[in-house]
Amino acid sequence: MSWIDGVVRRLTQAPRPAERDVVAAVRRLPEMAASWRNDLPASIVVFLVALPLCLGIALASGAPLFAGVIAGVVGGVLVGSLSGSHLMVSGPAAGLTAIVVAAIASLGSFQAFLAAVVIGGAVQLVLAVMRAGVLGYYFPSSVIKGMLAAIGLILVLKQIPHAVGYDVDFEGDETFLQANAENTFTAVLHALQRLEPGAVLISLVGLALLFVWDKTPLKNVRLLPAQLTVVLLGVALDIACAAAQPAWKLDASHLVTLPIPAQLADYADYFAFPDWSALSRGDTWRVGVTLGVVASLESLLSLEATDRLDPYKREAPANRELFAQGAGNIVSGLIGGLPVTGVIVRSAANVDAGARTKLSAILHGLLLAAAVVSIPALLNHIPLASLAAILIFTGFKLAHPKIWSSMWRQGSSQFLPFALTIVAILLTDLLVGIGIGLALGLLFILFEHSRQPCYEIVSPKGAVLTRVRLNEQVSFLSKATLAKLFERLEPGSRIELDGSQCRHVHHDVLELISDFRETALLRKIDLRLVGLDLPGATHH
Amino acid sequence: MENLKRLFDNNRKIVEEVTSADPDFFKRRAGKQEPHFLFIGCADSRVPIETLTGVSPGEMFVHRNIANQVVSADLNLLSVLQYAIEVLDVKHVIVCGHYQCGGVKAAMGTESYGLVDYWLAGVRDTVRRHASELEASPGEDERFKRVVDLNVLRQVYNLARTPVVQNAWKRGRRPLLHGLVYDIHDGFLKSIALEVDGPDKVRELFEARRRSIGD
Ligand SMILES: [Zn+2]
Repeated sequence: MSWIDGVVRRLTQAPRPAERDVVAAVRRLPEMAASWRNDLPASIVVFLVALPLCLGIALASGAPLFAGVIAGVVGGVLVGSLSGSHLMVSGPAAGLTAIVVAAIASLGSFQAFLAAVVIGGAVQLVLAVMRAGVLGYYFPSSVIKGMLAAIGLILVLKQIPHAVGYDVDFEGDETFLQANAENTFTAVLHALQRLEPGAVLISLVGLALLFVWDKTPLKNVRLLPAQLTVVLLGVALDIACAAAQPAWKLDASHLVTLPIPAQLADYADYFAFPDWSALSRGDTWRVGVTLGVVASLESLLSLEATDRLDPYKREAPANRELFAQGAGNIVSGLIGGLPVTGVIVRSAANVDAGARTKLSAILHGLLLAAAVVSIPALLNHIPLASLAAILIFTGFKLAHPKIWSSMWRQGSSQFLPFALTIVAILLTDLLVGIGIGLALGLLFILFEHSRQPCYEIVSPKGAVLTRVRLNEQVSFLSKATLAKLFERLEPGSRIELDGSQCRHVHHDVLELISDFRETALLRKIDLRLVGLDLPGATHH
Repeated sequence: MENLKRLFDNNRKIVEEVTSADPDFFKRRAGKQEPHFLFIGCADSRVPIETLTGVSPGEMFVHRNIANQVVSADLNLLSVLQYAIEVLDVKHVIVCGHYQCGGVKAAMGTESYGLVDYWLAGVRDTVRRHASELEASPGEDERFKRVVDLNVLRQVYNLARTPVVQNAWKRGRRPLLHGLVYDIHDGFLKSIALEVDGPDKVRELFEARRRSIGD
């Protein structure tokens, strides 16, 4: 029960006072400064991956494209600074698109929706104060690992069409049934029938590079991670194609597509502001609370998942994360951004690109803001196929076969929730799938617990008196095993129930024993209770 | 040979008698035993306890040695005791002495009988402790009877101090210890101590005895 140990450990750790956090942060400054060599290149990779995701998710949400970028910037800079996590990246989440689409439709305008986003952020602050972050500690490890593997598989499957130039579905989609009447598998099949030679070339070269990178001396060049090379190479290949083989040149639909305003002042138009009059409607509040709860859940899941990916095995405080996410959503909502959550794909890409500290997540936000304003035309040369190669590589690492074999070796109680979570997420979407996975995971834990014997029979076989010694902890889950033991007893048998070693016996179990004491008389069973404090118990 | 043949003949006769009245009598008892009593008595041939008390086979677990001793280092007795209490769950443990006990008599005298002298050290100790009281008793017979009674009481005390009994008492008021003496002259059982069911009762018993001997 390693996850229970984790819960206990973290619940018993006193939250650190804020001033000590500051002192610790100042002490870490030299270390932070030293880490920029790793974090700067990583942040560029995350930025490049995040850019099409932000745009794609905004597109899928039916929101202005720039709302996705704003959310990306806020998620990187603000949430990144406030969060206690070192490697988690926050930004607009694919998991929320369904909610966002429905909410914008029901509230009537994007501005009204922004008011709901602010409410959602406030709800997260309340959750943080209520210390609801502990919820995150109850996610079974097998389910989190299943979620990561499922996201890996989804990434690979969803990115294959982009890799071969079939850019129909939006970037960052995670649901099985796509909005364009295809599902994950038919999209892959269709894509393989419509190969775009230029895209195929770029993604294959990119993938090959990613897979061999670590086996070459190139891995020592810290300032140039493999992922960045892949993007640069993709742009170069596309330009080369334009010269050598014009038919292979990718058109705009296969490239990053940032809106380019005529003049700088037009950027002001991209900012939208909440329509506060929407606050008078119950719907706005309902959407806000839904957003707050769902975004919190997704962030806690991402946090748990990122902790698992962290090569240094650092653990981030959950309630502080809720606070950071809440602040992020309030600000994002106020300036016209989509809701933010912690996001696993970008976090995984961050880990893969070698990030060490939160500097990487913060820089990725700054890069988003700066690049979108300064070099949009340049960014629009990046082939989606290059980014697909990076994401397929990340997906492959998330769903690596060795994860499956290690889960398999841990036995069915670990493997089944893991595998079922993957199937559920693949066939539905992240939130529904993880919901199913959590329910199954908890059922497995209940099942496992209820099978744990809560007693030991200390008398030898065939003894006239069956002496049963209850274990130190007799939980509610032990009720069934104990009830079965009582049922099996034959009339005329003698049993001694020894609770003198017990530290805790669940009330319902005491009630069961108390009831058994009544029926034992009728069943002519000689029952002797030792060291058990039953309500109204008499020694005999 | 004549005597041994009698055993077999009688055995056959008894089996026939019993099975004619109750064909399954022995078959029923072949299963598990659930005796209510553990009897710790003297090896003396004049104390046929099953016959005297009318118990049937399966009702009484029996351990016998010379002068019904409970010695804390006696692996034989301790095994019997533990098995009876922890596995067979007997409710009553009886220590039973008897008048005219050869073992007690030997311990009261000065003659040496060999190995058994070691075995009877406990009885000799009892005699020594109660010397002043015994001296005051009216006659030889009375003194002999008194030592038999005191010996039983001492063994009940020893029994109560064994870890097996102590542990059992910690878990509930079982088993009950009893000290009895069989009067070989008239065939009646006489009680010395009854229903000792815990340390309190043991203390009570020995306070009373101490007062009686002015200890
Ligand atoms: Zn005798």
